Amino acid sequence: MAELARTDEIEMEVKKTDEMAELEVEENQWGEPIEDLEGEEDRNKAVMKLLDSMDGYLTQFNSLSSTLRQGWLDLASARHSMGTSRINYTLLDLKEHAASTSLRVISDDDDDDVDDSTRKQKPRFQLRKWGSLDNQTFSAEKQRSKEEHEESSGSLKQRHRGDSQLPECASKPDDGAQVQIDDKEKNERSKSLAMFGTLVSPKLRASQLSFEKAIEAIVEIANLRSEILAASDQVQRILEGSKKEILSLNSKRDYKKGVKETRALNEIEEPRD
Amino acid sequence: MANKAPIRTNDSALIAMIADEDTVVGLLLAGVGNVDLRRKTNYLIVDSKTTVKQVEDTFKEFTTREDIAIVLISQYVANMIRFLVDSYNNPIPAILEIPSKDHPYDPSQDSVLSRVKYLFSAESVASDRR
Repeated sequence: MAELARTDEIEMEVKKTDEMAELEVEENQWGEPIEDLEGEEDRNKAVMKLLDSMDGYLTQFNSLSSTLRQGWLDLASARHSMGTSRINYTLLDLKEHAASTSLRVISDDDDDDVDDSTRKQKPRFQLRKWGSLDNQTFSAEKQRSKEEHEESSGSLKQRHRGDSQLPECASKPDDGAQVQIDDKEKNERSKSLAMFGTLVSPKLRASQLSFEKAIEAIVEIANLRSEILAASDQVQRILEGSKKEILSLNSKRDYKKGVKETRALNEIEEPRD
Repeated sequence: MANKAPIRTNDSALIAMIADEDTVVGLLLAGVGNVDLRRKTNYLIVDSKTTVKQVEDTFKEFTTREDIAIVLISQYVANMIRFLVDSYNNPIPAILEIPSKDHPYDPSQDSVLSRVKYLFSAESVASDRR
């Protein structure tokens, strides 16, 4: 009877180890678990993305600091030549007016995040300098629309082949539009300077250009901030997942050890019986 | 799905400023100044007479306005309301701490970088708190 009970026990243990074996992690020759290479790649990618965005953030801040410094210097020079009373916050326009330079905020899916269930949307900022989209973003959008056009169906490609004059015609309105944009920018700049008088120091104009450049850096920094926050969330989720994995691996290893020892003991005891 | 917080899109959002006179004047030259019908501006000039309460109220106002996408705040002003800046978690408006004439940018005080610091070393966070 005791022998029957013991064989039943051994059979139960064998069943359990078979179940555990299905979830078992492969081990190398030293008994260390061989990690899933694909998961490791995703983890490395997330960490690299975080470090890259942090590096970009700090680099942009250095650039912003030097641009602002130049702007303050030029403003101080303009104040010195025009007089303190002529460049003063009391002269700021408090009548109702809209900002000439604004932002366009769009929602961007975090495509690099592997986990669909926790993927967040992050904001993307585009500068609209003096009422129009920034030149860089405008040309980037043009390129993207061109690429989409090339990748589209064959019928569109055939149309392009047939009408070779199309790209030439397309370039002419762009040149005209660019001239209009430049004129508009000049007008808006003059309006902005006009609050300090009709005749202003060239240093004030230089200061204006420095601060415009600073705004571009600020928008870039805002985008990098979104990247950092999204990447840090992803890395945090990976760390939490890794902690859980390590805990479950340790418990599995302890269980396996216990089963092996029990089997060994039973094998030793059986011949005695 | 519960984690997907929708982002408020906007075609003409503003940049708000809480900074010293020279920074605000310079940025207004770049055309970011806005005054609405109620004569409310998108900037606050901080000087020696500005109180912490004023800065706090302005910060809260700018972060709750729907037409503002970025809030620029001088880092030395952000230090006056550090608890408020660090506890701010929303993606929009983005809070950016900028340097001022007399106070250069210090990355160790930046709220965004502070949030990420703990991922690299728990000890450095603990030593800063001491």
